[in-house]
Amino acid sequence: MNAIEVKNLSKHFTLSKKRGVGQKKSNQSLANKNPSISGLVKAVDEISFDVKRGEIFGLLGPNGAGKTTTIRMLTGILKPTNGKITIFNKDLDKNRILIQQIMGHVPEMANVYLDLTGMQNLELIGELYGVSRKERKNRAELLLKKFELLNWKDSKAKKYSKGMRQRLLLCMGLMSDPVILFLDEPTSGLDVQSSIIIKELIKEYHASGMTIILTTHDMDIANELCNRIAIMNKGKIIGLDEPHNLRKLKQEYQALDVYIKGEIKIQEIEELTNIKKVQKKRGYYHIIVDNLKLAIGEVIEYAKANNLQLEKLNTYEPKLEEVFIKMINGETTL
Amino acid sequence: MTQDNEEDVFANRPKANTFFNQLKRSFSITKKDLRIYYNKGPVVIQGILFPIVLFIAFTLGRDIENIYLISGLVTMVLFLTATSIGPVVFPWETRQKTLERLLTCPISIRTILLGNIWSSFTFGSLFALVPLILASSIFRTWGSMKPWIIIPGIIIAALAFSSFSLILSVPPTDTPANTMMLTISIKFPLVFISPLFMPIDPTSYVLISPLTYFVDIINTGFTGTSAFGSYGLLLDFGVLLAFGLVFLLLAFFLHGKTVQKRF
Ligand SMILES: Nc1ncnc2c1ncn2[C@@H]1O[C@H](COP(=O)(O)OP(=O)(O)OP(=O)(O)O)[C@@H](O)[C@H]1O
Ligand SMILES: [Mg+2]
Repeated sequence: MNAIEVKNLSKHFTLSKKRGVGQKKSNQSLANKNPSISGLVKAVDEISFDVKRGEIFGLLGPNGAGKTTTIRMLTGILKPTNGKITIFNKDLDKNRILIQQIMGHVPEMANVYLDLTGMQNLELIGELYGVSRKERKNRAELLLKKFELLNWKDSKAKKYSKGMRQRLLLCMGLMSDPVILFLDEPTSGLDVQSSIIIKELIKEYHASGMTIILTTHDMDIANELCNRIAIMNKGKIIGLDEPHNLRKLKQEYQALDVYIKGEIKIQEIEELTNIKKVQKKRGYYHIIVDNLKLAIGEVIEYAKANNLQLEKLNTYEPKLEEVFIKMINGETTL
Repeated sequence: MTQDNEEDVFANRPKANTFFNQLKRSFSITKKDLRIYYNKGPVVIQGILFPIVLFIAFTLGRDIENIYLISGLVTMVLFLTATSIGPVVFPWETRQKTLERLLTCPISIRTILLGNIWSSFTFGSLFALVPLILASSIFRTWGSMKPWIIIPGIIIAALAFSSFSLILSVPPTDTPANTMMLTISIKFPLVFISPLFMPIDPTSYVLISPLTYFVDIINTGFTGTSAFGSYGLLLDFGVLLAFGLVFLLLAFFLHGKTVQKRF
């Protein structure tokens, strides 16, 4: 059964000099990229998708793609310009509070109340979800324990480190015992260890049957965690599939950056079996390859044979944006 | 859990959208506000510093009757404190990045606003008691004080001024200083045109200030006679009630619109 159904969802913002809060920069850059639509930003543009119950659904996209705007509409705090959101067969617009009662949300760049203790933060959220006093305490203690914050529960969140605040924020998102959990960039800006903890817990909650919608601009995180991934760009969903297809796509754009002393003949290299294309850059060659391992061998062989000195060889992971550009240009599809 | 049908998803959840539930949740907002804002700049400045400065400015070198001294001081403190948190909560929470989390909870914007009103009310009425008790002790006016007039007066005025103050945070800014400017430029003129530390002249421009009616309640609470005649108290309470209600509804309406611009 579908947990969420989204039909033709759009959100348009009118640009004015005196904007409210946040996103001023990306806002500016979008206006620059698209001067033709100055005055109107189509942050989300006619998107439709379903999220099945119990799945981890990823919204993957570069900065300004419209991920956060989509999440804000799904969590009921931003009114769509157009379109319809149905959650467990109920119209979100007509049943906002009822539906919010079964959701949990960890907003992007959000913060906990710094003047409250960890416990008070959780108590507040518990109260606002109408959780009974006894249950509140139980749940809060359980979560704090799970996220390794129990020793800090009575310290003001001011004293917490960034990772601890993010973990407390996750506890707050889970305080309502949600059926659907929204995570907007859950691991961005965190050190490796914190993000591993968070990823493990996401998997654990997923295993217990929770439906999770997360956004990220990190292909690897999307690959690792999600059952299905919607790729967003400029407010549109340009691909929606299971992650193994995304992995394949990524492999197609493996490349090598080769720093070499002396001139090489581009044509000769391009004739090698596993090499697709060579671009001369400032001080190095950018080589798009078929199979990374075999291609490295071939390049080394070639250098040896021609008495060229290899200085450095970097493997090259494609950036999301680059994969997008190919997709948008129709060079590949997901 | 995955086998549940769709009914079960919403069953066994706390009821959320009844008036009573939302009212209860507004008290949780109040608890949070009180914990966070009691020592924040705007509250301290407006609740303690401004009244002292203004009091000195108003009374220095003037010969003022004790009753007017008490009513002027109580009105000033109550008005300034009851309107001190309302304007800063939204910009503060926007800036601290706690607003989005709050709005995702199953509460309406009206619940949040009500919560803010209760907290302003608490600050306003508690702070107002301080000069009332102090001055009454100094001037030994306990005997003539009618608490059944003064206490309801403080309650209704604190509520009315609190809802008025919410209007000042309607502009969707994340800078408390911006709303402070707006606040000061509206609050101070109101204080200056009000008949503080002097008798009320019921035929003059002071009628346009809502503070006038609270001053009259306090005066009546000590002297027994209203400046507006025998039905004066009725007028005072009526005006404050209407004033509070109008601004409450206006705040509900306007915040419902601008909250969308806070992201
Ligand atoms: N309140 C707003 N007013 C005007 N424009 C906005 C507003 N909120 C978002 N936008 C614009 O809408 C577009 C989508 O923004 P959104 O925050 O949804 O992107 P995102 O995919 O979450 O990006 P990021 O990876 O940076 O978080 C951006 O161009 C942004 O500038
Ligand atoms: Mg975002």
